[in-house]
Parts: sequence; structure tokens; C-alpha cells
Amino acid sequence: MREPEFKVVDPRRRFLLWFVPPLAVFVCGLVVLLVSGHITGPFRSVTVVRALFASKRDFFQDEQVKRILMARGYQVHVTPIGSRDLADKPDLDSYHFVFPSGHVANEHVKSRRAGKHVVPYRPFFTPVVLATFREYAEALKEANVAQPHGQSEKPLYYNLDMAALKKLADDATRWNQLGLANGNRVIVQSPDPCKAYSGATLVGFFATAFGDEPPQTVEAAEKLALDVKPYVDAQGQAGEDMAPKYFVPEGRTHAVIAVIYEHQYIAYQLRQKSIDTERVLLYPKKQHQSTPELISFTPEGDRIGELMMNDPELRQRAVELGFHSLGWNGETGADFGGYIAGRGLPEPPAGEEGRVQLPKAELFERMLDVVGDCK
Amino acid sequence: MRALLALLLLLAACTPSTPPPVRLKVLASTELADLGPVLAELKKATGVELAVEHRGTVEASSSLAGFDLAWLSTNRFLRLRGAEPELATSVMTSPVVLGVKASKRAVLGERPTWADVADRAALGQFRYGMADPRVSGGGMAALIGVATAAAGTGAPLRPEDVSCDRLQGFLAGRAFDVPDPVGEFTRRSDVDGVVAHESELLSLNASLPEPLEIVYPRDGIILSDYPLMLLKPEHRATYDRVVEWLRAPAAQQMIADRTWRRPVDPSVQRNEKLRADLGTALYFPDRSEVIDRLLLFHDRAGDGRQVVFVLDYSTSMRGARLAGLREAFASLNGFDRFYVGETVTIIRFAGTVLEERSITVRGREDLDALLSVVASDDLRDNTAIWAALDRALQLARGEAAVVLMTDGENNAGPSVDEFLRVGRGEVPVFPIRFGEASTAELDRVAQASGGRLVEAGAKSLLEAVREIRGCR
Repeated sequence: MREPEFKVVDPRRRFLLWFVPPLAVFVCGLVVLLVSGHITGPFRSVTVVRALFASKRDFFQDEQVKRILMARGYQVHVTPIGSRDLADKPDLDSYHFVFPSGHVANEHVKSRRAGKHVVPYRPFFTPVVLATFREYAEALKEANVAQPHGQSEKPLYYNLDMAALKKLADDATRWNQLGLANGNRVIVQSPDPCKAYSGATLVGFFATAFGDEPPQTVEAAEKLALDVKPYVDAQGQAGEDMAPKYFVPEGRTHAVIAVIYEHQYIAYQLRQKSIDTERVLLYPKKQHQSTPELISFTPEGDRIGELMMNDPELRQRAVELGFHSLGWNGETGADFGGYIAGRGLPEPPAGEEGRVQLPKAELFERMLDVVGDCK
Repeated sequence: MRALLALLLLLAACTPSTPPPVRLKVLASTELADLGPVLAELKKATGVELAVEHRGTVEASSSLAGFDLAWLSTNRFLRLRGAEPELATSVMTSPVVLGVKASKRAVLGERPTWADVADRAALGQFRYGMADPRVSGGGMAALIGVATAAAGTGAPLRPEDVSCDRLQGFLAGRAFDVPDPVGEFTRRSDVDGVVAHESELLSLNASLPEPLEIVYPRDGIILSDYPLMLLKPEHRATYDRVVEWLRAPAAQQMIADRTWRRPVDPSVQRNEKLRADLGTALYFPDRSEVIDRLLLFHDRAGDGRQVVFVLDYSTSMRGARLAGLREAFASLNGFDRFYVGETVTIIRFAGTVLEERSITVRGREDLDALLSVVASDDLRDNTAIWAALDRALQLARGEAAVVLMTDGENNAGPSVDEFLRVGRGEVPVFPIRFGEASTAELDRVAQASGGRLVEAGAKSLLEAVREIRGCR
């Protein structure tokens, strides 16, 4: 006769039975998330980097950019602000880096950081453009103010004659005189030049209609500013960042000509299933390229700057977001045109007549103050 | 049980740590009371409770003290005061438009302008309600829209564009201006339409047996863009969370579906009614004086104003000049039209006063009667300008303006010096000069009365009449 058997359940085994399956799921999930860069493990701590951004915040708010940075161990906390406000912000030193949109703010920030850690990086550039709609661009073409770029039946880009546009404004021309159902005067709408770089650039564009030589003295800058002022004032109350509103179905109602950045347009087109041929860009014949500088104040900021210059994934993503990439020595990357052409977008005009010669930062700033009645 | 536990454990591992619940005080535009369900979802998803107090946008823009966030139809009124918060993110849009009873829609004509609305309102053919512009952003947007259209410059209003109160005809058709125009509209049966946000009208339509037709005035609308504004920087992180949630496709869809506002995310599916073409927008003024002047003229509306026309019917007016005069009267329409409640007095004169006629406008028949006075062919010799003007000033009652049209020298009755010797009170005189009339004399009288001399020679007579129409 056999001894009665007691079935003793091993408590360890019982625990393992309960614990192992969910653990397996958890571990698998964690590995997947770690590999994809959505989270970081305890072995690699995440450094939170605080930064001030102007219009280029779209880049750091992009999900893929966040993911790539997270995989490298960085999370960038973005505080959006207009470029000029950025340069004047009292708590500037409390950030790891700043990313203003243009040279005036760049210079201002650097001078405020004189004697402290300040390292600039220039990962990419993007032209400032006047965004409009097909029928408005065509009306400007009929009026000999804009010429299509390229041979396409539905060109996406037009070259704009600023002097001719100024003439339309001088004559108080209305769109309905150019054959459109709109009684408003031909006016360009921009963000406040006191606050945003793209608004400031509009001042630069209209200044080219008064001659090519940038002013060299405060008196000359003030005089030019007074000449330009009516063309910028004409829009009444200036808005904020124009791009988000340009791309909604009510875009025409927000503004028929809005100052935006080329990369905002390219990124929008690349997101579409098919190219939006209703929305087109006007490029002043003398173009202006915004070269945002990532200005680092700390070693953490330096690290982000280096990643922006070197990391192939980040640089590829910048192109996908519509930026022209720049190398360490300021040379233009060849990847932009090729990439967008591959996605069916023609290459935008490069500005045959060169660049807007902006005056020195302090003179340009004086001009902006006069034009915008900035406090 | 075990499986459930495992699932819970897994969920706990996967859910990012939920931030602690927060309650923020928000000052929001009155019409945003319909966001209740959206805010409930917001709280569920983010743990952020928005405790909302509602006020009209114009009123709210005068003081944001005591709130963490503000969510108004626009930050433009704040910007005019230089009190715009640093962070503002547009969440949705809705234009200020006109809702019209289907039975009255034909009165306005196809694709009407604000000028057409003003024209029918002045004639008493169209009565509407609107929000009080002293309180409400919608009411003020309507006023700016109409005034911009009336100025007709195709540019933002400047203070001087509001110097002639061409709004009076439009305002003559106003049945009420109250903080809640849509609510008032549903309680009244004697009103043909209401000026309000598209979102309010579409919501109202959902409950009406006979929906209002929505009219987007062709000469331009004003679009509210509902920015959420951060007032206290210490709530920055929470603000970012709220904005991120509100601008994500799910919330945008909910806003479009439940509150009839237009999403700012272009990828969100829209109801057919939210796809209507809005057409042109009117520029927004950049000077607070413009707003002050608009309110001044708004408050003055409907006081039974009077305009006295003193018209030269001496023989020298025969031919083109008289034809021009008649044409000018016949062409007064849109913003220039004589309006319901306005008293129009016409004095025809030559060597003496030939005819005087006063009519308080009730409708189109009264305007026809005025035209018949002007149509008279009873021309006489001599020109007694100052005697006729003296008579006009006797007839002027209360808020009044006198328009004097003449082409000749005074050769009967008192001289200009004799006329001016008598104290002339407060009634402004706007002489319109053509032909041989004396610039110096007419200008003296205009200046003495606070009026202004208008040259008919430089532009057409019609433009001259329009220019001084109802001016103060």
C-alpha cells in the first residue's frame, strides 16, 4: 500500500506561474519602446533641456524629432515666443539654449550673453516667403507684379517684383480692380514686426523697393523706416504666426497674402495626399533666408547643437520638415531639392537676384522700432 | 482573476504617470458656455478642470485680473490696449454673420453686402437683433464690419473714417442689442434676423422648426479665432497640456460636431455647414480711438435725427445742375439712405422760400414723397441764400444738420453779415458749392456753425452729398 500523497504546492512555483506571463509581456513591451525611442531605460537617464523658441519650434515639437532626441537621451522642453521678445526676455539665462529665427535676435542674444557660455550652431535655413492663393498670384501675374517660376501649368512658385507691388499699394489698388471678388486693398499681412522675425522681414522686403543699399547711419535707417512704414501699417492690427491659419480651409479669409517661412509650406505640402495647387508662394526677387541659430548656453545645449549638425536621422528629418540643411562650414546640403522632387514637389526658386541686404543689426532694429512703433 | 490582475499590472506599467488634478480659473466669452461637454472630456483626459466664468469679450478684455487663463473670441481688443498675454493659441474659429428668417431672406437680395443690409434696415424692411457692442465681441465685430464696409476704403478703419456716422441707417433697423441676442431673438416674433457668430446660429438652427438662412456678407466678415491665453506663467505646464489636448484631432472633431465652430486642424472632417465659403475678411483696426468712436456713434443712434436740405431753385439751376441734384437724391442708398425715424426737411428757395416739406421717414412711400419735392420744375428768379438758411435753422429741432446747395451769389434778403450777426446755435451747416457761388461766404458760415464746405465741382454732386450725409 502506498503512502497517501500530499500534493504540496511549491509557493515559489505558484508565484512564478502568476508572475511570469505578465512580466514577459511587460519586458517585451519595454524592449520595443526602448528600441523605438519612445521612452528611455533607467540605464540611460533623460536629460530635460529647456529652450526658448521662435517660429522654428515646429521642428522640436515634431513627434519624430522628439523620438530621435529621446533615443539619444534628451527631452527638449519648448517655450514658444516671438524672436524679438525672445531676445529681450529677462530670464534668458535660465534656459539651456535658445533658437531665434533671424540675425537681429541672434546678435542681440549673443551680446546679452557676452562673457558667458555662448555657442552658436546653424543647422539649416529657410527663405521667408509671401504665401497666397492661386487666383491672387495669377491676378498679380496679369498686373505684371509676379512671374511664374518654371514652366508648369499650375506653378507653385512665383517671383515677385517688390517695386511693382509697392506701386499697387501706392495706387490704393483693390483686388477687385485686378478682377477678383474682393474689395480689399492689396495688402500684405504679417506678424507684428516688433515681435516676430517674419514681420521684420516684411520691412526688409519693402525696403528693397526703395533701393539696394542698406542704410549705414541711424538717420538713414530712420528715414528708410518712415518710407516703409505705410506699407506695413496698411494691414491694420498685425497678427501672430500666420502659417497655421494660412493652411486651414478658411485661409483666404484670414489673409490673402501672408508672410510665412518656406519650410512651413513645404512641410504642409509633404503631408498632403496630393499636392495642393491652390496654395502658392511668392518669392521676392531679392530673397531673404532665415538662418535660425541654435545658441547654446550650457553643455546640454551644446549636445543638442551637435546632434543637429551631425545626427543623420535628425538632419534627414529636418529636410522632411521642409528645411534646407547647412553643413559646419555653412555649405548648403544637396539633399533638399532631391528629397522634395522625389515627393513630387518642384524645387523652389533660389533667388536669381541675390539676397536682401539687411542693414547692421542695431540699425535694422531701429528701423523695426520706427515701423512698428515698438515700445 | 489572475488574468485581470495581470492586465491591470500591464496597464499600470504602460500608462504614463498621470499628472495630479488641477483646477484653473478661466475667463471666457459668453458664447463659450456651450463648451461644457468638451471641458468634461478635457478633465477626464488630462485631469485639468477649467472653472469658467463667462463675460462678453469686450467687457472681459478690460480686465483679466484674478484669472489663470482667458479664452475669448479674440485677443485683438487686448492687443489694442497693449494688454495681450504672451502666450495665446487659437483653438477654433467662427465668423460673425447674419441669420435671416427664410421668409425675409429675399428682401436682402442674392449675395448681399453689409451695404444692402443697411439699405433695407434704413427703409424699415429688415429688422434685426445684435449683441451689445459695449459688452460683446460679436456685437463689436458686427459694428466694425459694418463701419469698415461703410467707409469703403478696402483698408482698416482709421478714426477719421468713423467721423461721418454712416452707421445710422444700419442701426435704424436694429430691434435690440442685448448681451444674449440669440436668446432674445427666439423670444421675439417681430424680428427678421440676428447678427451673431455662425456657431451660435447653427446651434440655434438645430432647434428651430424653420432654420434661419445664414448670410455671409459679400463685402467681408470678421472671423473670431478663440485664442486660449495664459495669464499666469506659473501654470505654463498645465496650459501646454490643455492646448495640446484641445488641438488634437479628437477634441477638434468634438468642437466641430458639438459646438459648430470651425476646427483649426485642417485634417478634421467637417459637417457640410461648416464648409460654407466665408469670402473676404475685413481688416481689423489698430487704433483704440476707432473703437471709442464707433461706440459713440452707436450710442447716439436712433435719437430721431433731422437733416434739413436747403436747395437753390433759382433759374440758373435749370438743366444739368438740377438734373444732378435730383439724381443725387434718387441715388442715396445703402449706407447713405434716409432711414426710418429720421426727419428729412426740404426747403426750396429762390428769391424767397418756395416750398418747405418735413417728413419723418416710416418707409419707402415717404422717400417717394421727398423725391417728388425735388422733382419740382418751379424755378424762380433771384437767390436769397441767407433768408432760406435762416428759415432752415428755425425748423431744425434737436440733433440736426443742415445741407445747403447753391450755385449763385446772394442777391435778395439779408447779407451774410446780417445773417451771422444773430447767434446761430449748435446746428452745423454743410454748404455744397457749385457754379458761381461765393466760396468765401459759404466757408464763413460753415466754419461759424461747426460744419464744412464741400466743393461739388471737384467731384460729383452725389459724392458731395454722400460725404456730408449725416455728418457731425
